Amino acid sequence: MTYNDLNIDLTDEQITLKRETHKFAKEVMRPAAIELDMLADPEAVINSPIYWDVMKKGYQLGYHSVFIPDTWGGMGLDPLDVHIVLEELGWGAGDLAIGMCVGCFPAFFSSMVPNEKLIDDIILPFCECEDASFIGCWGITEPDHGTDTLSPGTEMFTNPDITCDVKARLDGDEWVISGQKSAWVSNGTVATHCLCFLTIDPAMGMAGGGICVIPTDLPGVRKGKPLDKMGQRALNQGELFFDNVRIPKDYMMVDQEAYDGILDLTLATANASMGAIFTGVARSAFDLALDYSKKRIQGGKPIFEHQMIKHKLFSMFMKVEAARALSRAAFVYNLNNSPPLTQYSIASKVFCTQTALEVANDAVQIFGGIGLSKEYPIEKIFRDARASLIEDGANDTLMITAAHLF
Amino acid sequence: MAVFESTEKMYEVLGGLFTGLMNNEEVLAKVLKANITIMFDITEPKGQIWLDPNGGGVICGKADLKPDVTMSLSGDTCHHFWLKNISLPVAIAKRKVKTKGPLPKVLKLLPLLKPAHDAYPEIAKANGLPLK
Ligand SMILES: Cc1cc2nc3c(=O)[nH]c(=O)nc-3n(C[C@H](O)[C@H](O)[C@H](O)COP(=O)(O)OP(=O)(O)OC[C@H]3O[C@@H](n4cnc5c(N)ncnc54)[C@H](O)[C@@H]3O)c2cc1C
Repeated sequence: MTYNDLNIDLTDEQITLKRETHKFAKEVMRPAAIELDMLADPEAVINSPIYWDVMKKGYQLGYHSVFIPDTWGGMGLDPLDVHIVLEELGWGAGDLAIGMCVGCFPAFFSSMVPNEKLIDDIILPFCECEDASFIGCWGITEPDHGTDTLSPGTEMFTNPDITCDVKARLDGDEWVISGQKSAWVSNGTVATHCLCFLTIDPAMGMAGGGICVIPTDLPGVRKGKPLDKMGQRALNQGELFFDNVRIPKDYMMVDQEAYDGILDLTLATANASMGAIFTGVARSAFDLALDYSKKRIQGGKPIFEHQMIKHKLFSMFMKVEAARALSRAAFVYNLNNSPPLTQYSIASKVFCTQTALEVANDAVQIFGGIGLSKEYPIEKIFRDARASLIEDGANDTLMITAAHLF
Repeated sequence: MAVFESTEKMYEVLGGLFTGLMNNEEVLAKVLKANITIMFDITEPKGQIWLDPNGGGVICGKADLKPDVTMSLSGDTCHHFWLKNISLPVAIAKRKVKTKGPLPKVLKLLPLLKPAHDAYPEIAKANGLPLK
């Protein structure tokens, strides 16, 4: 079903934006993601013209630049507009939505500290790009540090024994970077630019970090193989290795002076976006189950006519609506206020990803045996939702990080 | 000791900075195009400075307008921000600046503010304010 928007203040432009994005999600993203999901080899995903077609179409429509002001050629959308777009992209395909979203990280961060070099080298070329030849990624986690990197404000974050493997040192007018980022870096093996979160001052523990852009064609950068995983298979992921990579001084946007504060801002934006995207994923599972329940006949009538199925569907419907309400509120508040209230973004991420998993799980049950097969995309959506509970921070530890803010 | 000894001094220095910029046609054209009403809500010394592209221009003191973007900060942070001793994200991360208004609009302001960064060191020097 197309849901009823409870926001009575949506403008005609916002309604059109929702309709247009939904069209892209339904006609382009969903079929592409289903095909890509079936490829056994993750290398085949990024070699497939299907992958590049969907990315290119997304870029041509400007979705890669939803977070960037129109001054630079970005979409320049208001926070509520961005939430609307992200929910629809998530409805189409959670994996491709994440790839599109995280792809803007280097340019988005550059637009917060727009020095001449970042404007010319990163922001403008990214916004102008229409063929997905400029793709970003967010390299923060490492083989030995997952949760460790995403817990600003907790006690362990300032423990000098816990630092990133990737470190940067200043040498004249350049930063020299060495170390390895994890196989989980989304867009890792297709990215042309990495927004890298690393350690500058190990004495400060994880808090002694820095944030910089690293073009991945620089000497000393090496990429791993695309990761083979359970869900979100259309989302490319893979390691990045840095061996004495030299970047200009201007590419280091944040140093240890404000690293933990900026990481907190990053989590607030990234987690709020996850909430929006996985509201869409939850809704897609509900829509498929509702549709199927009206077609599948058992006991001489559509299973929708059986009270138990109606009850289950209504419970799924309530969860999706609650997810949208929380994720919109958190998103709109935190993208209108800096510093943000990060605990609300985390609440949104945890609640919406959990909701996506629960709703997808119920949807599989409504489909019965065929829900486990590849005939319908519901099993893919279930796997995609499962991955989201670990993505952008494991839900359990994110909750502890957020509770530190009380 | 606060960088600006009084609200009047702050209005003289920062108000002068913005008025000078608004007199520059190129800057004015960009400000008009962006069409964002900004309010700097300043503490120590207490005051408000408004930039209103819709006719008001630069207003020092309270105004009966609705801001698109509000930046709440101290007079010292203002001074160091215009001197480029501190960037906006760092100031936000360190809780020295609070912004209210859609993030894309806040980010849109940054390139517009560049001429203010360029002009301010001279103005600060001329007014005997510390540069570090
Ligand atoms: C689909 C997907 C996309 C991703 N995209 C990116 C990306 O773009 N960039 C990137 O850098 N990374 C990315 N990641 C990595 C992701 O952020 C990490 O997987 C996540 O932060 C958890 O880290 P980990 O896997 O190392 O688990 P660990 O940190 O090893 O955690 C293992 C378990 O221990 C628990 N735990 C850990 N520490 C503590 C503690 N101190 N107290 C109590 N319990 C604890 C955790 O909750 C978890 O249950 C992605 C992951 C996925 C699944």
